[in-house]
This record gives sequence, C-alpha cells and structure tokens, in this order.
Amino acid sequence: MRSIWEASLVIARRDFWATVKARSFIFFMITPLLVVGFAILTAVVQSSNRDEGPKVAIVTDAETRDALIEARARLVAGTDEREFPRLERVDPAQDVRSQARALIGDDESDLSAVFSGTLDRPVLSGPERIDNAFVGKRMTLIIEEAQRNRVLAGAAPGSQPAAVERDVTAGAAGNLREVRTGVARFGQFIVFFMTLLLATMLLSNLIEEKSNKVIEVLAASVPLDAIFFGKLLAMLGVSLIGIALWGGMAALAAAFSVQLMPAGFELPDISPAIGWPIYVLLLAVYFTTNYMILGSLFLGIGGQATSVREMQNLNMPVTFLQMGFFVLALTVVGGNLGLWQWAAFIIPFSSPMAMIAEAGQSATLWPHLLAIPWQAFWVFLLIRISAAMFRKTVLKSGGEIRIMPRFGRKTQS
Amino acid sequence: MSSAFAIEAKGLFKSFDGKEAVSGIDIAVPTGTIYGILGPNGAGKTTTIRMLLGIIEPDRGARTLLGHERPLEAAREVGYLPEERGLYPSMHCREAIAFMGALRGLPLDVGRKRADILLQQNGLGDYTHKPIKSLSKGMAQTIQLFGTIVHQPKLIVLDEPFSGLDAINQGRLEQMIRDEAASGTTVIFSTHVIHHAERLCERIAIIAGGQVRFEGEVATARDRLRPQVRLRTRAADGPWRAALPAGAALRDGLWQFELPGTGVEPLVKALVDGGAGIEELAIERPGLHDAFVQIAGEAAARQIEEDRRADLEAAA
Repeated sequence: MRSIWEASLVIARRDFWATVKARSFIFFMITPLLVVGFAILTAVVQSSNRDEGPKVAIVTDAETRDALIEARARLVAGTDEREFPRLERVDPAQDVRSQARALIGDDESDLSAVFSGTLDRPVLSGPERIDNAFVGKRMTLIIEEAQRNRVLAGAAPGSQPAAVERDVTAGAAGNLREVRTGVARFGQFIVFFMTLLLATMLLSNLIEEKSNKVIEVLAASVPLDAIFFGKLLAMLGVSLIGIALWGGMAALAAAFSVQLMPAGFELPDISPAIGWPIYVLLLAVYFTTNYMILGSLFLGIGGQATSVREMQNLNMPVTFLQMGFFVLALTVVGGNLGLWQWAAFIIPFSSPMAMIAEAGQSATLWPHLLAIPWQAFWVFLLIRISAAMFRKTVLKSGGEIRIMPRFGRKTQS
Repeated sequence: MSSAFAIEAKGLFKSFDGKEAVSGIDIAVPTGTIYGILGPNGAGKTTTIRMLLGIIEPDRGARTLLGHERPLEAAREVGYLPEERGLYPSMHCREAIAFMGALRGLPLDVGRKRADILLQQNGLGDYTHKPIKSLSKGMAQTIQLFGTIVHQPKLIVLDEPFSGLDAINQGRLEQMIRDEAASGTTVIFSTHVIHHAERLCERIAIIAGGQVRFEGEVATARDRLRPQVRLRTRAADGPWRAALPAGAALRDGLWQFELPGTGVEPLVKALVDGGAGIEELAIERPGLHDAFVQIAGEAAARQIEEDRRADLEAAA
C-alpha cells in the first residue's frame, strides 16, 4: 500500500536534488548575499560618516549643567567627539524625577538617558541595559570628571565623590507600540520578500516535465496531487536551505557589523509582543504556509502555460498579485480591526503576512491556532484545484473534477 | 470482470474538442500474453492506452487494469513506456532507472542495484553514470525501457516501442518482450508496423478510425482470408479455365486467386484434367498484412505503410 505522501516524497527528492546539484544553484544562493552584503557595506559607510552619537538630557541647575558640559569638553579634547554622548540642556520642572521619565518615554525624543540631581547626588534615568554600555559608562566618566574638577577648584571638600544613583526605566526613546509595529512590519516584509523571491520560481516548475514529456510517465505512475505536492515540498526545501544560509550569513554579518559600529552605537531594545521564541517559530510557519499557498497557486497557473514565453508573460501579473496581497496585509499593522483587517486575516493569500504582523503586536496565541489550520486547508484545496485543472486542460482528460478526495482509500494497492 | 484478463475495456469513448478520438473501444488482454494494438497513426491507439492507464479519463465506458477499476491503484504492478519518451536530461542512467522504479513504489536502493544489473546484462555498464542528455535517442529509449521494467511489473504497456529504433535495437527489444512474457508478464504494445505484431503477438486488436475493427488471435485474423493461389500454366486457354474462380486475375503470366472452398485436391485435379500444363503452383496462407487490408480497408493499409516508411527514415 502506498500513500500520496510517499509518492510526493519521490517527486520531491528528485526535484530537490536536481535543483541543488545544478550549477545555477550557486547563483541562486549567492545573489541575495551580494544584495545583503552591499546593504551592510552601505550601512557601515553611512554610520562611519555619522557625527551624531547617543544623546543624554541634563535636567539640573545651571551650575551642575555647566560643570558637566565642561567636563565633557575636557574629556573629548583628548579623544574624539563621538567617544562621549552628546548632552542636551533641559530646564528642570517641579518634579524632576517625573520629568526625566517623561522625557525618556517621549516618542519624539531620541534620548538614551536623562541626568538629574546634582554632582553631590547625581541621578541617571534610563533603561537597565545602559549600565554596562556606552552611555552609562561614559556618563559616569563625565560625572566623575566634573566631581574631580570641583574638588581641584576647591569648590567642594576632597572626600569620596558621590556615586551615580540609577533610576531604571522600562525603555527609552520610543514607546512599546512603535517598537512592536516595527517588528510586525519586519515580519511581514520577511515573509513577503522571501515568498516573492522564492515562490515565483514555481511558475516554471512544470515546464521541464512538459517539455521533456516526463509528465506522461509521472501521470501514469502517481496521482497528479502527489506531483504538485512533491514539487512544492522540493522547492520549499530548496528555499529553506537558502533561508538558512542567508539567515546565518545575515546573523554573522550583523554580529560583525556591531563590532564595526562606532562607540556610541546602542542596540535597540525590540521584542515582539508574543516573545521571540514563539515569534521565530511563527515566522517559519507563516513563511511555509505563505509559500505553499502562493506556490500551489503559481504551480497551477504555470502548469497551464504551454511555452516559456507564456511563462514570462505570467511573471509580472503574478508579482503584482503578490504585492496586492502584501498591501492588504499591511492594513493590520497599527490599525484598528475593520473590514480590511478582517479581510487580510481571512483571505488565504494575505493571511500568513497578516498573522505574523499580529504576532508582533499581540501576545494572544489562539488566533494562530485557528489561522494555521485554515491556511493549511487552503494549501490542500489549491493543490487539488491545480491538479484537477492540469488534468482537465493539459492532459485533456475528461471525467469529473473531484476536489475532495475519497477518504479512506489508498492510491495504490 | 475476471482476473483471467490483465486489461478489460468495454465501450470506451473519448472526444477532444468535440472530435471523437475513439468510439466504443472493447478489448480484453488475457493475462500472460503478448498483445498488440495495431493501427495507423491517429487511429486512437495512444488515446486508448492512456485511458487504460488512467492518464486520461474516458468520456464513457469502463475499464479494469489488473482487476482495478481505478488504474492508479495498480500502478505498482504496471510498467509504461509512453509514445513520447520522457526522461530528465541531467539524470544519470542509473538514477533515471531507479527513479522510474521509485515512482512505482520500488525502494531507491533496490532500484539502483537492479539498474546496475540491467545495464551490465545488456552491455551498457559503461553508461551507468552518464547523463541522459549524452545518450543517443535509441540509447535513451533503452534506458527508459529499463525504467519501465525495473520494478518487475505484472503488466508492461509499451506505446509504439519500436518507433525510432534501428534494426539492432528493434531485435533487442523484441527479445526483451519475449523474455518478459516467458516469465509470466503480460505485455501489451501498440504499433503501426504489422510485422512486429505478427512476429510477437498472440492476440491483437486492429484499430482504425477510433474503432476496434478486429480483436482476437492473430491466426483468427489471418483465417478470415482464404489462402491465395498463384498458378503458371503452359496452356494459355482450355477447359482447365473453368476450374478458376470468378475473381482470378492474370498478372505477368501468373494467375492469382483465392483457394476455392472445395480445397486443393479438386482444383489440382480439374487443372490437370483440363490440360492446363502446370508449370508453377503455390498456395500461400495470407499474412497479417493481407488480413489488415481486408479488416481495416485499403486507406488504413496505405497509411500504415506510410507511417512505417516515415519511421524508417526517422530511425535512419
């Protein structure tokens, strides 16, 4: 007894190795790396040309403020401007502690920390992570330089300088909502871009079998559904290899880039609402479902084409089709739940991109437990329809078009 | 439908774009025989085979393949060589054979071992790791044939298997078909070359114009025609002429006519008694070609001859 799954694996294995062993595969693998490499190079060049470093607000009296600014100037004189955070004067309000927290949580500000208090009792407000990072360490140097200078000038007793008091805040420069919106868009873009890059290849995937007449051998041996599903699996495997390589290289490049960044560079504090482990898992799942849904559609459309010319003509409308669904999925980011948003979640061609955005914005898990089976059902349905259309129009087979299988029956005995 | 038949089809109809390709095909292929589907190109042979194998569905009619109403259920036990040969050009010979076996449920490692044996046995061991695209057309066809039998099927279906092969490869293929049949495998093939069917088949179906004109044993087809008599006499005329049937024709001094129903002895006696002076007398059993002309008609016979010539030119 033999199942469609086993037959699909035979097709998938052949297609996978045929693709991976082809010489052209190396170009497929390195082209995105070249693009990413170029982007990183550009970013590094731009960052090295940047004059601005992180910024710290000084909310204190004029004497302390001037002492800090002078201390910074002395320190910078022996090194480089970018080796110390910029200081921004802000007039103190009634409740300086609340003012400092408000400043650091302001979406419009680009502050990394806020200094308040005096040199006798310095307070640095900001997220915990700055303590062992550039801003925390360099601000401590500036404060200590100001304290030392005051002692040398005789303006203060030569006792042990006061330690910096820390006022730890949840974050800095930008609220959580914006961060999550960014994560949502990032996830959508990754799913869209990877699918755009990889699924369009499926358009021409059946042309080899048709031009070499292999389709006749395949169609006589295994169900057409297995041929379609096998081809999808093979190209998904190829795509995942590509993604693993590109992802690994991107991670290495990112790690390397951080080392290359100027001293003032701070890694942003970003995390999706649902948490990174589940988010990454969902990213993989939604890429797979998006790839399978669009891939089975493209395989079906491509299967109808009779020549390479027709295939080329189909490329552009199919790309625009993908972009249309991407735009629909974009409506769920940051907006309220309306008709467009519901459409984006429900329509199978936009659902994976909409749902990965949802994972970035909301910690609720159950919508994903509904969405994944829904999308899987559409993969199944599209494969059935594509195979039935291929049988009807390409193989010129008559008889009924059966979308739902005869449950409980095996394909072969 | 009983298991005495590897294939049974009743009333198969198929139209393409409103034009009927086959209309009411009835055939029954006994298990363990070599069966030929004979007819000119465009007669409906390939459409019939594709319907039998489930590649396309008939508009009407029923068929069973090794007892299965849904042909794909029997796929593991069937080997199929399509008319339009199809192999992946970049695949190596061994992998191509094993892959075709895997499509029919044969594990890949077993398929590779059997591929090695098939290639070695047929003197093609050097081609094991050669890509298909480097082979000649005939060689590629041989590789595909190995892929058709690598999983040791109970039924082998070959669509125009001799087409495009040179005489040596045709002989090799004929031997392979005989060997498979000798081991109990049912072999069915379509052809437009009458002598292949005549040499190999126990039973045939003659198809012309999308219909089965004859279905049965080769001997039965030939027996539909009376034996042919060729006679040369010394006497140009005389009482012996009364012994000749009405359809007798004189061509190049040679009388040709069907053997009368009364048999050989009364004919010979009448010729001798009538003073014919027999110089040459030959009685020939009709060949399948004659039977084909009689069954399918002159037009089909002419076309099948043209197909054969075109085939020879292609092979050359």
